[in-house]
Amino acid sequence: MSSPALLRHPEDSMPATAVAEAGPAPAVIAQPTTPPSFGTLALRWYRLNRAGLRATAIGVISLLAFLLVWHLLTTYRVVFFVRFTNVPSPLAVYASFTKAIHDPKFLMHIVLSCRRIFIGFSLAAIVGVPLGLIMGRFKLVHEIIFPVAEVLRPIPAIAWVPMAIMLWPTNEQSIVFITFLGSFFPILVNTLHGMSLVDPVLVRAAQCLGARERSIFREVYFPASLPHIFTGLTVGMGVAWVSLIAAEMISGQYGIGYFTWEAYSLVQYADIALGMIAIGVLGLGSSVLIRGAGRLVMPWRST
Amino acid sequence: MSETIASTPKGHIEVKNFSLAYETIEGAVQAVTDTQIHVKPGEFVSIVGPSGCGKSTLLNAVAGFLKPTTGIVTVDGERVNGPSAERGMVFQQYSLFPWKTVRENVEFGLKMRGMPRSQRERAARTLLGLAGLEAFEKHYPEKLSGGMKQRVGIVRALATGPKVLLLDEPFGALDAQTRVIMQQILTNMWQRLKISVLFVTHDIDEAIFLSDRVYCMTARPGSIKAEIPIPLERPRQQSMMMSSEFLALRRGLMSLIREESLKAMGGEINDMGMQGLSIELHGHSLADVI
Repeated sequence: MSSPALLRHPEDSMPATAVAEAGPAPAVIAQPTTPPSFGTLALRWYRLNRAGLRATAIGVISLLAFLLVWHLLTTYRVVFFVRFTNVPSPLAVYASFTKAIHDPKFLMHIVLSCRRIFIGFSLAAIVGVPLGLIMGRFKLVHEIIFPVAEVLRPIPAIAWVPMAIMLWPTNEQSIVFITFLGSFFPILVNTLHGMSLVDPVLVRAAQCLGARERSIFREVYFPASLPHIFTGLTVGMGVAWVSLIAAEMISGQYGIGYFTWEAYSLVQYADIALGMIAIGVLGLGSSVLIRGAGRLVMPWRST
Repeated sequence: MSETIASTPKGHIEVKNFSLAYETIEGAVQAVTDTQIHVKPGEFVSIVGPSGCGKSTLLNAVAGFLKPTTGIVTVDGERVNGPSAERGMVFQQYSLFPWKTVRENVEFGLKMRGMPRSQRERAARTLLGLAGLEAFEKHYPEKLSGGMKQRVGIVRALATGPKVLLLDEPFGALDAQTRVIMQQILTNMWQRLKISVLFVTHDIDEAIFLSDRVYCMTARPGSIKAEIPIPLERPRQQSMMMSSEFLALRRGLMSLIREESLKAMGGEINDMGMQGLSIELHGHSLADVI
């Protein structure tokens, strides 16, 4: 590396040193070989994805085992501290599921719950993320809003039900409001946390490249906070479902939470389990959606 | 590309009667006092000194991140009032934007200036080509080695065609081999662009090898203890570091810094004491000696 040529002919030798340093980089790996056969490709794919395949296989087995234990406990009506006497069996739940998917009323419950989540959660994100960003950037806004937020934050969304009924003219609005509250605080708090962790050196780097306040906000603070914003959205989505189901059970007329509660009142035991499983699947689906969105928005974090 | 390479040297840095103090509960703490430095257009100047002597503070004041308590910082006669693209900066921690690809990082300054996308893409590619990084333009910084990251950092700082380049221990986190290569890349770029460079380091060899002039700072509160011209001819080669001329400069600078480092460590250990300690230590544990 200490060759005199390097200094005398910088034009020629600089890329050369660069390539030397970049030796083990991906560009060099590609070797001209004949295309491998299908068998070797399949084998290679298997080797590379072995861990993933293993996890999937164990996951499937574990779910099947859960169903089996459930089946055995209910078939033999086990009473051992907890009573499985009235608990529906998986087969009974499956039967009520096949009936329910042809029932427009059940589908309406699901659609309504999803709509409430969508509106409440979206509002929480639309208000919570920008508010968190602004609070993180402007001390005065933080000083004004933070104390109020800290007092309201520990109040569980369910405790807001009576107040929400008084505040909003319709039941629908108060349920959406509760969903909003449930997801709002996790989103706000995580956005704030993300803002507080932004590396000040990156802000300096942007400044001495000529960035002004608005550009710094858009190009540094916002992307730097995105990982925490998405943590907030994921947590917020979970709490949104918790709050929604509670609100629907107390004050609703429709929705999957109401469906589950109504099944209990009407002694439709299989429908209770069906409602619970539906909530689980919907909650899982929405957090998968958010994770996917996160990967789309933050390509630099994948792999 | 033509606008990023200047034909005449520019960037005359002047720091006059500079001091900087921090307010604390016990009162003002003087970080840097009574300091004058200057960098002539196209000159490569380093600042060395014991850790905590305020060399980075001085550099940050030239960058415009810190306001001097007294004194004035000017570049080409204009007073420095805040950070600007005229003074490019390279940081020890690379400080590349992790959410931007290598090329987007280099484009950033041009984007802030309002250059249209296609034009700045072309400019960024040319610059990356010069640094041997064209193959990595679409990579995110996380995937790069330390040396590559810092090359991107330097190219990014140079992309806007600054008058001066400020570097704050830019190679401190790199291994020895990479550091040598980076020093040569930096020398090359400096010689082509003919801009002024102010370089902060604690590595004496690096300072002598790169610079036209070296400022040595005192322990806190920092001020200029000595100004050492480096008359070594250019282009400089690695082998020069063994020459008697180089070693003499090194010895001189080393003793200056050691004096200050000892002061910075508390002051009561004098040179004799250190020698005594090292003799006593042969065959004894530290506990025996103390």
